Amino acid sequence: MDAAPPLVELRGITKRFGGVLACSDVNLTVRAGEVHALLGENGAGKSTLMRVLSGDVTDHSGEIRVRGEPVAFRKPLDAQRAGIAMIQQELDLVPALSVAENLHLGREPRTARGTVDRRRMNARTRELLRHIGVDLDPRRQVGLLRIGEQQLVTVARALALRARVLIMDEPTSALSGTEVDRLFSVISELRGAGTGVVYISHRMDEIGEVADRATVLRNGGVAAEFDARSVTAEQAAAAMVGEEVDTTSARRHRPPGEELLSVSGLGLRSGGCDDGRREPAGIDLSVRGGEVVGLCGLLGSGRTELLEALFGSGPSARWYGQVRLNGRAYCPRSPGEALRAGVAFVPEDRRGSGLTPEHSVTANTVLSVLPRLGPLGLVSRRRERSVARRSSRRLGIKLGSIADPVGTLSGGNQQKVVFGRMLLTEPRLLLLDDPTRGVDIAAKAELYRLLDEVAEQGIGVLLASSELAELVGVCSRIVVLRGGASVAEFDASRTTQAELLTAAMGSDPDQRDSPTTSVGGGR
Amino acid sequence: MSSRTTDDDPAGDGSAPTGSPPAGSAPPAGTGRSGERFGGLDTLLRFQSFFGLVLVFLASVVFSPRGDHGEIIFLTSENLFNLVRAISEIGIIAIGLTFVILIGGIDLSVGSLLGLAAVGSAVLLTADDYGVLAAIAVVLLAGLVFGLLQGLAVALLRVQAFIVTLAGLQMARGLARLWSGGETVPIIYGSGPGEAPLAFSLLGERTFNGIVPVPALMFAVLAVVAVAFLRGSAFSRHLYAVGGNEKAARLSGVPVNRVKVVAFGVCGLCAALAGIVHAGQLNTGSPNAGISYELDGIAAVVVGGTSLAGGRGSMVGTIAGALLLGVLNNILALNTVDTDLQLIIKGLVIVAAAALQRLRPNR
Repeated sequence: MDAAPPLVELRGITKRFGGVLACSDVNLTVRAGEVHALLGENGAGKSTLMRVLSGDVTDHSGEIRVRGEPVAFRKPLDAQRAGIAMIQQELDLVPALSVAENLHLGREPRTARGTVDRRRMNARTRELLRHIGVDLDPRRQVGLLRIGEQQLVTVARALALRARVLIMDEPTSALSGTEVDRLFSVISELRGAGTGVVYISHRMDEIGEVADRATVLRNGGVAAEFDARSVTAEQAAAAMVGEEVDTTSARRHRPPGEELLSVSGLGLRSGGCDDGRREPAGIDLSVRGGEVVGLCGLLGSGRTELLEALFGSGPSARWYGQVRLNGRAYCPRSPGEALRAGVAFVPEDRRGSGLTPEHSVTANTVLSVLPRLGPLGLVSRRRERSVARRSSRRLGIKLGSIADPVGTLSGGNQQKVVFGRMLLTEPRLLLLDDPTRGVDIAAKAELYRLLDEVAEQGIGVLLASSELAELVGVCSRIVVLRGGASVAEFDASRTTQAELLTAAMGSDPDQRDSPTTSVGGGR
Repeated sequence: MSSRTTDDDPAGDGSAPTGSPPAGSAPPAGTGRSGERFGGLDTLLRFQSFFGLVLVFLASVVFSPRGDHGEIIFLTSENLFNLVRAISEIGIIAIGLTFVILIGGIDLSVGSLLGLAAVGSAVLLTADDYGVLAAIAVVLLAGLVFGLLQGLAVALLRVQAFIVTLAGLQMARGLARLWSGGETVPIIYGSGPGEAPLAFSLLGERTFNGIVPVPALMFAVLAVVAVAFLRGSAFSRHLYAVGGNEKAARLSGVPVNRVKVVAFGVCGLCAALAGIVHAGQLNTGSPNAGISYELDGIAAVVVGGTSLAGGRGSMVGTIAGALLLGVLNNILALNTVDTDLQLIIKGLVIVAAAALQRLRPNR
C-alpha cells in the first residue's frame, strides 16, 4: 500500500492479568489516514490492547513501533509524546472552564506581563476547531455543552497536543443521531489530514460507515480481519462469538415452578433522556421459580436500569407499567424493601457498589442479615463469624482468614462474598448484573455452579450479562432488550450467540438515541 | 480465632451437571496472608493513639515537676482526676462526634450546642423552676432534636454535613443568646423560687469520699457504654458500612438515611450532655460557652485514629485521643509552658497523628 511505515504497529502483544490471558500475540497496524475499527465482546481484550498502546499497561510482551521505530512506553505521557492520544469514555474535561481554557490547560499563552493571553488562546482554539470542521465558541463553559460537543472538544485537545493516532473507545455510546453524524464528519476530516484512528464500537452500522478496516478480537487473540466497508453484521458477529466450546453449560432440565415475577409494559424514564422521538415501548418478561432467565442488551439498552427498578435502587427513576411478584403488585422504594420482599441483587461493579474493600470478609458477608445475629439489635461476634465462615465455605471462597479485608481477595472471590451476602437473605428472586465481569475462568465456572444450585432450590434468577456465551450456556430463556424495550425472546437451547447479538444490535439507526450518561464531575 | 477454610464440607451436592470439576473446590490452602496483618508496624499503627497515650504519659512522668517531698506531681491522684475532669466535656463531645465522623460526616455545631445546653440548664433550673431531672431531660431532648434535624437535612436534602452543621453552629449560638438574653445566667442554689435544687450542684463535686469528680465519672461511664455499643451492636455495623461505601450499604439493605439521622441525633445528644456538665461545673449558663470546642472534639477523634473519610476508626481510639490531648494539656500547664506555645505543640501533635494514619496500608 504505502511505502512509508505505518503510524503504529503492534507486534505479538501478550498480556496476562493473574491467570487470565487478556491479550495473546496480537498484531495490529494503524496507517496514516486510516480508520481502523476494533471489534469484540466484553473481555475480548480490546481495552487491554488499547491500554498497552496508550502506555497505561506497560508490563506486556511484544513490540510497539511508532513510524517504524520501536518504542517502550513507561507511562501514558510517553505515549502522548509519541503522538498517541486516547479519548476516554468518561471525558476528562474541567466542566467549570471554557473550551479554550480546557484546550490550553497547563500551556496557557502568556502576555508580556505574564497574565493569560485570552485573545491568543481563543483565536488558536477557534482555528483548531475550524480545522476539524466544528463551529463552537471557545469562550463557552465546557460543563454547559452537550456530551457530543464535549467529546469534540477532547478530540480538538488531542490534536492540539499534536496527536497522530487517536483511540476512540465507543465514542457514540452517549451521542444522539445528529451528534454522531457530526463526529463522523470530524473523523473523515482527520482521515483526510493523515491522522490514524482506532475506533472501538459495538455498532455494526457505524463500522461500515466510518471505518476502513476492522479487526475482530476474541478471547485475547485476533479472530478475523475484514474490509470494514463490505463486512456484514452476521459475519462480524460470527467472528466475535466464534465456534467456541461451550464450557459454561450448567443448565439442567428441571420443571419450572410457579410464576414469581411478571413484568408487563414496563418503561423506565430517568429524567431528561426523553427526547420525545421514541414511543414508550415497554419491557415484558416473566421469571418462574427455579428458572434462570437471561437479559441481553448493549450499553444503554435499559438492562441495568431494569434491575435497579426491580431492586428499588434506581436513581429516583420513574417507571410505568406493571410489575407483580408472587401475583401481588410490587414496587419497591428501597433495597431494604426489596430484600424484605425476597428480592436480592448482585450489582455489576463489586468494588464500587458491592463491597467495602477495607472491611473484613465477615463484616461484608453479614451486612444484610445483622438482625439475625443476636437479640435487641446486638451482634454476637461468635455467631457472626460462624455465619461468615459457613457462607465462605458454601461458596468455596478462597481466603486466608475471614478477618482479612475483603479487598485483598481476588475479583472472583470478592464477587462470591457479595453473592453470599445476598443468599443469606434467603431470596426468592435473585437479580444479577454482569456477575462474572472481570472474573477469571475458574471462578466463573464456580459462579455458574452456584447459580445452578440456587435455581435447584426453586429460586428464580434474572441474569443480565454482556457475555453471550454465558447467557446461552446458563439460562433457559433469554430476553433481549434494546432502547429500553424488550425486542425479542429466545429459548436458550435453540438460539445462537450470533442470533442474540444481531437482535441486540439491531439495524435501526434510531437506536443511537440511547439514554445519555452524565459527564464525570458534574457541574 | 483464625479460621482456615477447609473443604471438609463440599458445599455442592456432588452432582455438578457439567461434569467439569468445580474448579478450586480443593484449593492449595488459599492465598494465606492472615499472618501479615499482625506485623509489628501495623499493630503499632492500629493502636497508635493508645501507644501515643502511653508515650505521652511516660514523658509526662519524666518531665513532671516535683512536689515538696520529691513526689511526682503529675502522678498524684488529685492531678490525674483533675486531668480527666478537664477533658470530660471534650471527651463526651468526641464520643458523639465519632458516630458522625464514622459515617463520613462532620458536626461543627457541637460547641454552640454545648453553650445552648448550658444556658438551657441554667434558665430552666432557676427562672423556670424546673426540677433537676426535668431540666436535664428537656435539655437532652433539645440536643437530640437539634441533631436529628441536622441529620435530616444531610440525609434528605443532601446538603453537605459541613455546611448543614456550620449553619447549625450559628443557629445554636443564636438560640443560646436569645434564651439567656445575651447574659451569663448564674445558677444559685436554694429552695426558693428562682433558685436551683441543690442536687444539680452534684455535677461540680466529687464522689467516692471526695476523690472522683462527677464529670470524670460520667465520662468514664459513657465511654464504656459507647465502646460496648460500637463493638456489639448491629447499628454500629451500619455506621461503618455507610462510611465505608454508602452505595454498597444501600444495596445491602442498610437504611442509609436512617443511620445518618440517628448518628447526628446521638452527636447532638452528647453535646447537650456536655453542656449540662459544663453548667454544673461552673454553676453558670453562659451563652458563650463552648466556643471552638467542636475543633477540640474533632482533634480528639482524629488523634484517636478515626478517618475523616468515614468507615474506619474506633471509639477506643477516640477516648485514647481525648485522654492524650488531656495529658498533654495537663503536663504543659504543670510546667507553666506559655499558653501560646501550648497551642503550637498541640497543633503539631494533631498533624503528627494524622500523618501516622497515612502510613497505614490502605486497602
